[in-house]
Amino acid sequence: MGAKVRVVERKGRTFLEQLYLLEVFKGMAVTLGHFFRNLLDNSRLYVRHYPEVRPEISPRWRGRHRLTRHEDGTVKCVACFMCQTNCPSNCIIIEAGERFDGRSEKMPLRFDIDLLECIYCGYCVEACPMDAIRMDTGIFSVTSDNRESMVLGLEEMLRTPGAFDEDSYQKGVR
Amino acid sequence: MSALDIIMILLRIAFGVLVPLSFVAVLVWMERRGAAYFQDRSGPNRCNIMGFRAGGLVQNLADAIKLVFKEDVVPGHIRHKFYFILAPMLVFITALLCFAVIPFADVLLVGGSSYIMQAIPTDIGILWFLAIVGFGVYGIILAGWSSHNKYGVLGGLRAAAQVISYEIPMGLALVSLLAVYGTVNLTEMAQYQGQLLFGFIPMWGVVLQPLGVIIFIVAAFAETNRTPFDLAEGESEIVAGFHVEYSSMKFALFFMGEYVAMFVSSALIVTLYFGSYQIPWLATDTLLAYARPVTVLLMIGLPVIGYFFGQWIKKNNSSHYRREHDPRIRETKVYIALLWSLVVLLEVICLGYLLFAAGGGADRILVALLQIGTFLLKTFLMCFVYVWVRWTLPRFRYDQLQKIGWEKLLPLSLLNIFITSAVIVAFG
Repeated sequence: MGAKVRVVERKGRTFLEQLYLLEVFKGMAVTLGHFFRNLLDNSRLYVRHYPEVRPEISPRWRGRHRLTRHEDGTVKCVACFMCQTNCPSNCIIIEAGERFDGRSEKMPLRFDIDLLECIYCGYCVEACPMDAIRMDTGIFSVTSDNRESMVLGLEEMLRTPGAFDEDSYQKGVR
Repeated sequence: MSALDIIMILLRIAFGVLVPLSFVAVLVWMERRGAAYFQDRSGPNRCNIMGFRAGGLVQNLADAIKLVFKEDVVPGHIRHKFYFILAPMLVFITALLCFAVIPFADVLLVGGSSYIMQAIPTDIGILWFLAIVGFGVYGIILAGWSSHNKYGVLGGLRAAAQVISYEIPMGLALVSLLAVYGTVNLTEMAQYQGQLLFGFIPMWGVVLQPLGVIIFIVAAFAETNRTPFDLAEGESEIVAGFHVEYSSMKFALFFMGEYVAMFVSSALIVTLYFGSYQIPWLATDTLLAYARPVTVLLMIGLPVIGYFFGQWIKKNNSSHYRREHDPRIRETKVYIALLWSLVVLLEVICLGYLLFAAGGGADRILVALLQIGTFLLKTFLMCFVYVWVRWTLPRFRYDQLQKIGWEKLLPLSLLNIFITSAVIVAFG
């Protein structure tokens, strides 16, 4: 066998360490240091005062979905069903209809995403050949007190703007 | 029996019952905020009444209201409902009873008669504690068994095995302590600790029994089922252990029982090893002799403490982000006003004492109050050690627990007895 053998030095076998007590006191000194540091000045706590202070969202963050438009305001989506086919949690339901704005032949009449089913994996965004669906709204907290309002419709997704400019979205950095 | 007798009896019983109960609220608060600060979090700090958060203490109120109004479920599969309901009561009552024999001030001489400052003025002392604290585990075993639940039974069994193994080193540590003090009476033990060793070291149990104090504290942690010995409720393997089937106020009783037990065992550790109510270098007689200078010192010290505490409140009770109509500004102002009115009130009382009442009975009451304050402060600090250890050490595995109990603590406590008795025989 030519496997590399690396001898790992065992730690914690000396007499003082086996006594435990000394190590316990060392550990307690560490935690007490943290306690007093925070007690004397609680602005040093590593906490964000959510919801008053919001976290900074990176353009790569996969937030709530939106549908994009062309510059002339027509819907980019061509109802090719790529995202629906690719969705691992089957949360996308598209109904296609005929299109009359000259962009292509099909457009979605209904585009529903059930946010209770969605696992925010981003496969729909990767699958889309038209760059029509994006997850760059920066919305990370989607809550409701009933199931019906958690189903996202076509209109709402078209209405939501992206939170980042095109450049930073493409680069993935702010 | 005179009216004074009855008042003293009521006062002592009120102290013995209400202080542990009110400490539950303080301890839960200390546990949560302390845990948060140990881990660089902020802990519960949002709950408020009219914008006053009292440093997070209001959260306890919310928790209590929640627990009271929760549905009290007794699962249908439980056959022995009586034992199921008895168990939490047993845990809580035994924890509370333990405090009854702990002295919180020196024997008080008022109106020509003397009063032992314990809720139950008896001289069996530590024996009462040993008898009652062992009984507390019955509640846990009963809860586990009557829950008719695998996790419950496992938790109960673990608790039983743990308490049995740790009661032995605890008892043996006490044996050597009793040999030193020569009494089982806790008030006498406390008086013994008011002496000075070599004329300058306070003769506390921790100085006389350095090994015993470690054994006793470790065993006391195990007795109260606290981390690192809380595997009776190890949530990672047996969900919640013995109280898995309990809800609402029955769970709250277990919860409060745990904190009362923590308070009581801290009080006992303080009584046995950290000089009880004794202020170091100021035994009761010294305090009585120098009551006036001590009061003057107190009157100088109070505003200084008040000033620094006020500065601390000002610094830490502020918003760490921009807010409109910041409610914390008003809150801080009210806190500071309260603090200074408290300081002024105490100053007026001290001044009144100095001018009108100094000498005689008032001296004794002043000393008793100082000693109660010292005792509560020491117990509070010991409770903090409990919280501190809980958020530092990980939980022991079951076999490690038994190994430490039987292979380490038991021989050590025997060795401690031999050394102690040899020293006592040699030096008298």
